[in-house]
Amino acid sequence: MRVLMLGWELPPRFAGGVGVVAEAMLRALAQRGHELTYLMPLPLGAPAPRGVRLLDTASPRVGAEGIASRLVSYAGAAPPIRIPGEVTPPAGVPLYGHDLLAEVERFACEAVDRVAEANVPFDVIHAHDWTTFRAGLALRERTGKPLVAHVHITEFDKSGGHYADPAVFALEREGIAGADRVVAVSRRIANTCRDRYGADPARTRVVYNGVDPDTSAPAPPPLPRPLVLFLGRITLQKGPEYFLEAARRVLEVQPDAHFVMAGTGDMLPRMIERAAELGIAQRVSFPGFVDRERAAALYAAADVFVMPSVSEPFGIVPLEAMDRGVPVIVSRQSGVSELITNALKCDPWEVERMAELVAAALRYPVLARALSENGRAEVANFGWPSTVLRIEAIYRELGVP
Amino acid sequence: MPSVCFYFQVHQPYRLRRYGVFDVGRRHDYFDTKLDEAVLRKVADKCYRPMNALVERLVDETDGRFRAAYSITGSALEQMERWAPDLIESFQRLVATGAIELLAETHSHSLAFLASRDEFDEQVELHASKIEQLFGVRTRVFRNTELIFSNAVARRVHDLGFAGVLAEGADRMLGWRSPHFLYTAKGTPDLPVLLKSYQLSDDVAFRFGNRGWAGWPLTPEKYAGWLHAVNGGGETVNLFMDYETFGEHQWAETGIFEFMRRLPKAVLAHGDMEFATPSEVIARYQPRAELDVNEFVSWADTERDLTAWLGNAMQSSALESLYALRDDVLASRDAQALEDFRRLTTSDHFYYMCTKYFADGDVHKYFSPYESPYEAHIAFMNALSDLASRVGRSGFRAAA
Repeated sequence: MRVLMLGWELPPRFAGGVGVVAEAMLRALAQRGHELTYLMPLPLGAPAPRGVRLLDTASPRVGAEGIASRLVSYAGAAPPIRIPGEVTPPAGVPLYGHDLLAEVERFACEAVDRVAEANVPFDVIHAHDWTTFRAGLALRERTGKPLVAHVHITEFDKSGGHYADPAVFALEREGIAGADRVVAVSRRIANTCRDRYGADPARTRVVYNGVDPDTSAPAPPPLPRPLVLFLGRITLQKGPEYFLEAARRVLEVQPDAHFVMAGTGDMLPRMIERAAELGIAQRVSFPGFVDRERAAALYAAADVFVMPSVSEPFGIVPLEAMDRGVPVIVSRQSGVSELITNALKCDPWEVERMAELVAAALRYPVLARALSENGRAEVANFGWPSTVLRIEAIYRELGVP
Repeated sequence: MPSVCFYFQVHQPYRLRRYGVFDVGRRHDYFDTKLDEAVLRKVADKCYRPMNALVERLVDETDGRFRAAYSITGSALEQMERWAPDLIESFQRLVATGAIELLAETHSHSLAFLASRDEFDEQVELHASKIEQLFGVRTRVFRNTELIFSNAVARRVHDLGFAGVLAEGADRMLGWRSPHFLYTAKGTPDLPVLLKSYQLSDDVAFRFGNRGWAGWPLTPEKYAGWLHAVNGGGETVNLFMDYETFGEHQWAETGIFEFMRRLPKAVLAHGDMEFATPSEVIARYQPRAELDVNEFVSWADTERDLTAWLGNAMQSSALESLYALRDDVLASRDAQALEDFRRLTTSDHFYYMCTKYFADGDVHKYFSPYESPYEAHIAFMNALSDLASRVGRSGFRAAA
């Protein structure tokens, strides 16, 4: 199949992490022998995935510098962060600078010309999130090719469901309404698309993100055990305060437990303070941002992984932990909790319950082993090679030869 | 003239509530009494009451020619005494007809045979006493929990003085042989074994309402014809099934009650078939061959082995940890602790921890009050931790 994919970013430069997902999808589709073109607003210095043609709409009128800097500006005072597997930007923090909307508009206009000029062969347009929907619609109108709008996150998820920037909301709604298929990364997102954006359920498909096994085997760092791990941005959306409350409760029955909150974000200072208030500061470590290697080392040391997110469109980190054989406790307020069965689940605000589950995983080694083994086996089915088969099926529904 | 031998299993467990780590040492109420009550009341309305009434009527209408056996667990009897005492009376009336036989089993529907022969013996006696107290009869034929069976089970059942035992007619045990005869197990030549005819039993218990099944719709006449076809190739067709088949697994809307209402006449119309209870089958026929059953067979799942209760490490750890407490529980002379211990021996707790087919959301999930086998394990192990501290066992550690 000949696919034109539209994205805003590609590793190693990224803001929200949608680029990471798009890249993995491109690689897997390329392996299936499809003819792929990936169009972005800017050449971000990214190497093209094997078998993929990279295009951008950069022109002298657009300062590469300017846009590139906007792509990371959301992190604010904190250094640009990258938590392995993260695919969602923080809640309540504007993702890009002011004129992002103008940039989106320009991308839409130039995409049509650029595709025509480069003589790109394609039979389907696949656009990732709202920044590219405009361009997708323009290309659809010009060429008559079907459009797939892939929704990784919506404005409502970023704000905890309460507020959506009207301009962004309008662009999202336009894309969702005008696409031939809406692909949501979870039922949770599919429901948001239906309830908030009026998406037609008959044209909506859920495709969970894949995770490819990581075969590196780092030595665990010399950390005290048993170890309970949080790994993600330390922002409201991720529920870090629930993790600390649960930690306090766990320590009542498991006084030797140690807790690691890896990651950074606007709530980090507050959480350090909170741990002290709860009287558990000496049992909680805050290593800050960890890269992929250090994350792997933490997984190797962890006895339990907890993702207490308040709102998570998908949430790939638990899958990485499961792939590493770590027993997982996952928030029900996440897309990934729909997908996995070999994990313990609770709502993030059920602090007592969360503590119960953590304590059980620490106390009952047979339980931990069962979660570890069955979790790892389960995740082995979620690789990208099988995930893209579902994408292919959607293209076929649209009559793509 | 082949006999048709019905046996219905009546069982309700005491379900654990979500007993948490923070409850350990603080409260000792492990069981979800409200849930048990709700389930019992529901099943009583949908199954026990209408089916008891129907069976009573069938016995009456056929002048006692319709006959059947029940095995009712101690925990089910206790729950009926508490929340549906009319059912006890109803079962008493059934037994009084002389057409209904009650079978023996472990009081708590336990896996005791696999873990402690002493506990097994005690639970068998507990159950026999309970039956005698409520119904005034001594049980003569034994069925082990979930039809778990082997040479060793037969030996023990024989030594306890029973006249016969029930088992699954598992293919791997029977080979080319038919389940429609009496057998013995190696080592116990004078203990007849009645084998479940699983094809014909499951036609009713599992397939009756399945519109995709080639046998659907199953009329009493068609089914009686299938039973009759055994003639010449067997002496007894043993139809063993959960009592909840009627109205609960197969909803009333499937016509299951109507089917049963008309079945006795359809069977008796053949002229050369009759209904019999297990004791009557044993009295009427001779065992035809000896079976050598070294590995346990049961009636669960397609595997018909122990893996529904002991198929993973969580289940075996829980079982081992539980029975490791038995001596301390007995030594404590704490009657409530012993009662709680016995309730924890019920096989259902281990079934809830089964991870076979867990992802498929199958029958195990249907029966489980838990969201996952992991949660079942957690609640069970927490309750055990507390029980251990109650009987003075400090430093409880789960068996690995």
